Amino acid sequence: MSQQRVLPQSKETLLQSYNKRLKDDIKSIMDNFTEIIKTAKIEDETQVSRATQSEQDNYEMHVRAANIVRAGESLMKLVSDLKQFLILNDFPSVNEAINQRNQQLRSVQEECDKKLISLRDEISVDLYELEEEYYSSSYSLCDTNDLPLCEAYWREDPAVLSPEGLSMPLAAATAEQSTAAPQSSTPSHPHVNGHGAGPTEHS
Amino acid sequence: MATYSVANERLRVLEELEREIGASLQSAGNVILELSKEKPNERLLERQAAQFTASVQKVESELSGQIRYLTQVATGQPHEGSTYSARKGCQMALNRVDYARVKLGELARTCEHTLEQ
Repeated sequence: MSQQRVLPQSKETLLQSYNKRLKDDIKSIMDNFTEIIKTAKIEDETQVSRATQSEQDNYEMHVRAANIVRAGESLMKLVSDLKQFLILNDFPSVNEAINQRNQQLRSVQEECDKKLISLRDEISVDLYELEEEYYSSSYSLCDTNDLPLCEAYWREDPAVLSPEGLSMPLAAATAEQSTAAPQSSTPSHPHVNGHGAGPTEHS
Repeated sequence: MATYSVANERLRVLEELEREIGASLQSAGNVILELSKEKPNERLLERQAAQFTASVQKVESELSGQIRYLTQVATGQPHEGSTYSARKGCQMALNRVDYARVKLGELARTCEHTLEQ
């Protein structure tokens, strides 16, 4: 594709202004420097007295030196603007920076996950032994709240079977929901979402 | 910034140019200082003047090159890339590790407590 890429007007104008500033500042530095060197030459014949001429030359050199410094500072500002423009608009380097950062973060994530998996593999043997020891000991029998999860689900506790209760086994609730029509025949089984007798009255 | 050395090569060049601008002004000042003496050292004068001229030309050529590169590369559109998803994934991985550490600490304490009894 030999299509000419067209920049937006603002960006093109901005880059042209950068060029202009660069040329003007470099020209100012060189011109003022050469003029200072020229002024340093002592003339044999002067239109005014030597003292006056010296004062004038002194003042001119001060002004030109100040111009050189101003142009130097303007160049520094230009470099700063170019840095900012580069960071915002140099897509190749921005893409590269983003890719590098993503790669770095993903490698940290993979390393963390790898270490967790190896930790899991190491500790699974010990955990198995600990669980066996615990559930075969007297501690598991004393604490009724500490049942394995599956037993806790299937255990029938009379205190839980109220219409407002929410701890009904999920499997029984889904089985009941699949037979939604005859809800009035089972008023003692609450819905999982706690509507209780409400839907049964609707049906 | 050290991790982005390849991506920010141009920024490093621009920082170098800033130092070069300061060096060129320094050379100009040395030339004028040397001229102000009763008996200026000609070799030093010429060396400093050549250094000043070379610095200024180098600054001009490098900055022109950077502006030319930007003219070719700039699109005028904002860049919409981000590292947010990778950062989020990394943060979640670190949270997982921290959670595992906390749980292992609790397990260790429980075991110690049971052994003491």
